[in-house]
Amino acid sequence: MTSLMHIWSIALKDLKIFVKDRLALLFAILFPFLFVVLFSVVLSGVGSEDERLELHLVTLEDRGGLSHYIIEAIETEDESELEPGEPVIVWNDDYEKAYQSVANQGLEGFLAFPDDFTDGVSMGYGTNLEVVVDPEATYTRAALNAVAEAIASRVGQQQVISNAITELMLERWLESPGDVADIAQDIPELLSVQRGVPTRPSLIEFEVEKVGEVEGEEPSNFVIPGYLVMFVFFTAALSAVNIVRERQNRTLERLLASSVRRESILGGIFTGTATKGLIQIIIFWVVGILAFNIDLGLAPAAVILLSILMIIMSSAFGVMLATLTKTERSASSIAVLTSLVLAPLGGCWWPLFITPKWMQFIAKITPHGWATTGFNKLLVFGADFSAAVPEMLALVGFTVIFSIIAIWRFRTSAV
Amino acid sequence: MAEAFLVAQGLHKSFNEHKAVNGVSFTIYKGEIFGLLGPNGAGKTTTIRMLSTVLKPDRGDVTVGEYSIRHDADAVRSLIGVCPQELALYEDLSALDNMVFFGRMVGLDGKEAQAQAMAHLELMGLTERAKGKIAKFSGGMKRRVNLAIALMGYPELLFLDEPTVGIDPQSRNNIYETIEGLRDKGMTILYTTHYMEEADRLCDRVAIMDGGRIIAMDTPYQLKGQAGSPEQVTLEDVFLKLTGRSLRD
Repeated sequence: MTSLMHIWSIALKDLKIFVKDRLALLFAILFPFLFVVLFSVVLSGVGSEDERLELHLVTLEDRGGLSHYIIEAIETEDESELEPGEPVIVWNDDYEKAYQSVANQGLEGFLAFPDDFTDGVSMGYGTNLEVVVDPEATYTRAALNAVAEAIASRVGQQQVISNAITELMLERWLESPGDVADIAQDIPELLSVQRGVPTRPSLIEFEVEKVGEVEGEEPSNFVIPGYLVMFVFFTAALSAVNIVRERQNRTLERLLASSVRRESILGGIFTGTATKGLIQIIIFWVVGILAFNIDLGLAPAAVILLSILMIIMSSAFGVMLATLTKTERSASSIAVLTSLVLAPLGGCWWPLFITPKWMQFIAKITPHGWATTGFNKLLVFGADFSAAVPEMLALVGFTVIFSIIAIWRFRTSAV
Repeated sequence: MAEAFLVAQGLHKSFNEHKAVNGVSFTIYKGEIFGLLGPNGAGKTTTIRMLSTVLKPDRGDVTVGEYSIRHDADAVRSLIGVCPQELALYEDLSALDNMVFFGRMVGLDGKEAQAQAMAHLELMGLTERAKGKIAKFSGGMKRRVNLAIALMGYPELLFLDEPTVGIDPQSRNNIYETIEGLRDKGMTILYTTHYMEEADRLCDRVAIMDGGRIIAMDTPYQLKGQAGSPEQVTLEDVFLKLTGRSLRD
């Protein structure tokens, strides 16, 4: 009971000092919010727009060829009239220019009609549509292939009908060459095959089926947790300076000469640091929800637990750092250095899921990496509680390691 | 015969190869002010840190009351108060906050800590500045708060490590009067200082340390008598005679 009273008194004293230090408050509370606001605004466009695909068409035929009519029919005249997800169709005049542009990666690809397109279709010997594409532009390649297939299919269908009409006319004419009126009567009958199909202005049409709303990822969903992890860790690491100062000012020695047990002193320092982190976290989440519309996902309890484990891990690191350093300068230097190195490696400045595999692997050796991965799972990908358990266990592991080192060092080199 | 309250026997402490304290033994009797004098680096502060359980001696033992610092350190701590040489204060907190905090650390409840803090601040002439931030205090005021904190919980044995360093005569005089008042109330005090007239005025007995050893121990009057006529010789003369005139940095 006395030990608990000592722990709480030490923690309360640290909090009083923290609250009276305006610069520390500014750094721990206001400064992170400036970052969050700045980066939320900067990243607000990322992923929020449904980027339109641009499909370029070229023909090698002379003017008057069938391909000119096809391209004219499907070319986009007014982009503002396009439906979401509908591609922009652009007519390029020059095959060579378009080809060079793909080679120089200025254009992702285009579909080219050959110079014998009309003859190939009307004479029935066939023709080839050419898709020229950058090998890495997979979406564009797929879309151009689809356009080519649609053109081939529609043109083929029209070709079958016109061939059938021609053959029928020829057959009737051979049977009774003079009965032209009957032949004229039969043609509409044959064409009635098409009557059920509504008349279309062009040969090709794109149908876009929208499943659900196209919504961009809210940047604050990964910006706030990232900076939260970074600044809570930073503040806790910097608390090592206060502990070292306490040792240098001999207040720690004064505590050791009073009725307080060493474990209680360590517990008090830890509790004070953790309480500061808790205040930071509460303010972060409350403001995040109210001002940045953060969604805590399917498992808010997991978000809270992950936050608490992160605070405990950071506080253990701060205490450990204090026991490993002898001067304020070395404590602050190491605190700043570790925070600034671990934050980007651990995905605090950008979401880890957009980074290459090797960076994701390096992140696994940092506590930040586990914490941000857990938050991303819960807030960005909408995972449930169980999905974040590995990240929680990893943070517990880091806490145990830091605590063991801190206790061992505090026992052997407290003053 | 006076009752022995602190008995130090054969204390040794080394830091790497340096022997800071080398076989120190002495006894402090209940209710006396015992002076520990010596030049810089003599081993006074290391001795106090061992007596106050902050440092473990390499060899030897100390008993305070009936408790050994080796086996009953917690019990020893409940009997002692320490005023370190440095200003061991939280600069961002008020004098009252500092005192209440350390009062809680010696086991006082909130109300008792508050009451004792106000009483000790009054003793030090700091009642009106009780809520003032320590960072804005003068050196003398900080020294008085430093001493007042050591009194929280009314310890039976008080360690004062150079409590008057670098302060004005008024503050020094206030501290002298406070210490004399504490002795009158029966408190046992171990006092270290560089000011010989201070030791002469306050201490019932003094031990002079040099090179980690006690080289002389007696009442100031007797020590002065060893060097000449006690009325004409000062304690500083005795000190310089015993420790030499070479500089100690």
